[in-house]
Amino acid sequence: MSALLEIEDLYARVGDKEVIKNLNLTINEGEVHAIMGPNGAGKSTLSYVLSGKPGYEVTSGSIRFKGKDLCSLSTEERAREGIFLCLQYPVEIPGVPVSTFLKHAVNAVRKHQNLPELDTFEFLKTLRAEGKKLGIDNEMLKRPINVGFSGGEKKRLETLQMTILKPVFSILDEADSGLDIDALKVVAEGINALRNEHNSMLVITHYQRLLQYIVPDVVHIFADGHIVKSGDKSLAAELEETGYAAYRNE
Amino acid sequence: MPGLLQSKEMEGSELIWLEALRQKGEAAFEQSGIPTAKTEAWKYTKLRMLNADDFEFPSSEEQTCHCGCHRHDGEDEHCHCEGHDCTCHVDFPFEGYVLRFKNGAFVAPHPKLPEGVEVMTLMEAAHLEEDVKAKLGKLIELDNYPFAALNTAYLEEGLFINIRKGVKLEKPLIIDHLARPQDKNLFWNLRHLIVVENGADAEIIENYRYRGAEKSRYFANIVSEIYVGRNAKLRHYKLQDEAFKACHLALSAVQVKADGNYRHFCAQKGADVGRNEVVVKLVEEGAEARVDAAYKMSGWATLDTTTDIRHLAPHTKSEQLVKGVVDGDAKGVFQGRIHIAPDSQQTEGRQLHQALLLSDRAEVDVKPELEIFADDVKCSHGAASGELDEEQLFYMRSRGIDADEARQILVEAFLDDALMQVEDEAVRIWLKSVLQ
Ligand SMILES: Nc1ncnc2c1ncn2[C@@H]1O[C@H](COP(=O)(O)OP(=O)(O)OP(=O)(O)O)[C@@H](O)[C@H]1O
Ligand SMILES: [Mg+2]
Repeated sequence: MSALLEIEDLYARVGDKEVIKNLNLTINEGEVHAIMGPNGAGKSTLSYVLSGKPGYEVTSGSIRFKGKDLCSLSTEERAREGIFLCLQYPVEIPGVPVSTFLKHAVNAVRKHQNLPELDTFEFLKTLRAEGKKLGIDNEMLKRPINVGFSGGEKKRLETLQMTILKPVFSILDEADSGLDIDALKVVAEGINALRNEHNSMLVITHYQRLLQYIVPDVVHIFADGHIVKSGDKSLAAELEETGYAAYRNE
Repeated sequence: MPGLLQSKEMEGSELIWLEALRQKGEAAFEQSGIPTAKTEAWKYTKLRMLNADDFEFPSSEEQTCHCGCHRHDGEDEHCHCEGHDCTCHVDFPFEGYVLRFKNGAFVAPHPKLPEGVEVMTLMEAAHLEEDVKAKLGKLIELDNYPFAALNTAYLEEGLFINIRKGVKLEKPLIIDHLARPQDKNLFWNLRHLIVVENGADAEIIENYRYRGAEKSRYFANIVSEIYVGRNAKLRHYKLQDEAFKACHLALSAVQVKADGNYRHFCAQKGADVGRNEVVVKLVEEGAEARVDAAYKMSGWATLDTTTDIRHLAPHTKSEQLVKGVVDGDAKGVFQGRIHIAPDSQQTEGRQLHQALLLSDRAEVDVKPELEIFADDVKCSHGAASGELDEEQLFYMRSRGIDADEARQILVEAFLDDALMQVEDEAVRIWLKSVLQ
């Protein structure tokens, strides 16, 4: 089993605040890792650092993806290499319909893979079919992306994007927040459909519930910018009992 | 320096009323001169170029060919050229009756028009139509509009368009103006008189384009007087894509009668100084107007949208949405006035200007003015300017979309709601693609 993502002695800052401090994490091909940790621990910051968001600066250490240095790549290059970030707070873009947005995205990735642009008709057919599975109807696909979408609808749409873009490595930042119980199942199914021996995931969540659907291979407890404890899926259940008290300020 | 008032032999000088009107124009322009920054209505839009350079009228032999290809067919004075380098004909992605102009002069022939639609040159009409004498110059207070005064002093070239009572025009009339800049600085005046009679329905598109010497200067001074009758509807669309050293100043003065509807949309992207000014007088109950615009510019250009909507009767309604994208060292100007006269009760006037600034040096100057003398009215105005949203950019890039492409998508999306006001879908798509 080869490593897909290797983070070594990573320090990163946002603004002038050091948020990621001495982080080490290796995720192999096909593995699902869960990260749990208190508010403000730096989980979302880690997801942004991995996506190369402007303003998030790696101060030392390294991140390797498929054996190559990730930090030298731009956000869009990372996406085309197969990194997908399912945002905790998806962004609204007035004037840009979901279908237009996704068509640009899919074609950008295809261009990178030297594949021809998708035929609009074929693309829309796939989009509608995948949307239907996630409870997203055609009307929603015509609406400007995330504008006026409910919290749950936004998360479904993130999942739809992931389904369409078929990333190798997905970072799910609280994909479960704002979802009702039924929607949680639907979204989890969508995510699970992407699991295979090559694709890996980093699932950030506060609740064990999501992990009952998306069963992780490894669970990490993340506090103060790094991993303080790792274990198997039973660690999540344990946390639900004890909370983070024991891990704060180590 | 000869200045902009130069001697010119003009058609129609035997018409006493026309000569009198020209003289009134000349006197008014002599009085005002070229506006300076001290002139309130022109304080944001600098006209240095008009003061610094000499301009001359195009000589008449330059007028004959639309494209300058000089491949004419025997005695026929219009061009049949189909060469690849020929720019006589531009293909619009929609059907219409195309009326061609080059360097401020009409280029024959007229297209065949359906019954009830009359189009002739303004000078033909001045001799034939009583209506011209009654309507020409009546919608503009020359003392307040220096360039309309200048235009009136040289009132000659242009069209008289008359849509007869109740006539519904199926296809738009397209006034396609081609500028062929030359090594000397050219200057032309163009004047249209458009009458949409009671119950008629029409669409008019003005297209301003150029071919040839990019860096040449020229000054296009355009005035249209537009009468929209009772229950009549006019969609008036315009694209200003002049050469980048050009000065394009246009004024549309519009009168709308009871239950009439005037819709104006102007897309501006060309010229060094471009001003599209629209004055609408809603003179009877139920009259409505929409005046919308989108502009996109970079370099050192100034693009100006100036509107003045006068609600002169009760139950009148107006709406304006103007959106601009400004890059480089360019400057966008929006001056919008809504005037509601005493007794014009139950009127609605709304106005919104939004600008997207793509560089640190880009600038917008906005001057909204509400003059409300009635009490039972709904009025609003708003202005906002901002930069591209970093979160939106990141979101798109995180899906693999190139940063430049993401910016372009966001710019298009920004202009989209203004463009949505163009009712004719084919024209909307055309304007959208031109503004890309
Ligand atoms: N742009 C910023 N400037 C300064 N501080 C920031 C910035 N963004 C995040 N932080 C800080 O970094 C810390 C980590 O934030 P982050 O959003 O990564 O936490 P989190 O673990 O995702 O929390 P939650 O569970 O609440 O989502 C917080 O203290 C936050 O205030
Ligand atoms: Mg977070």
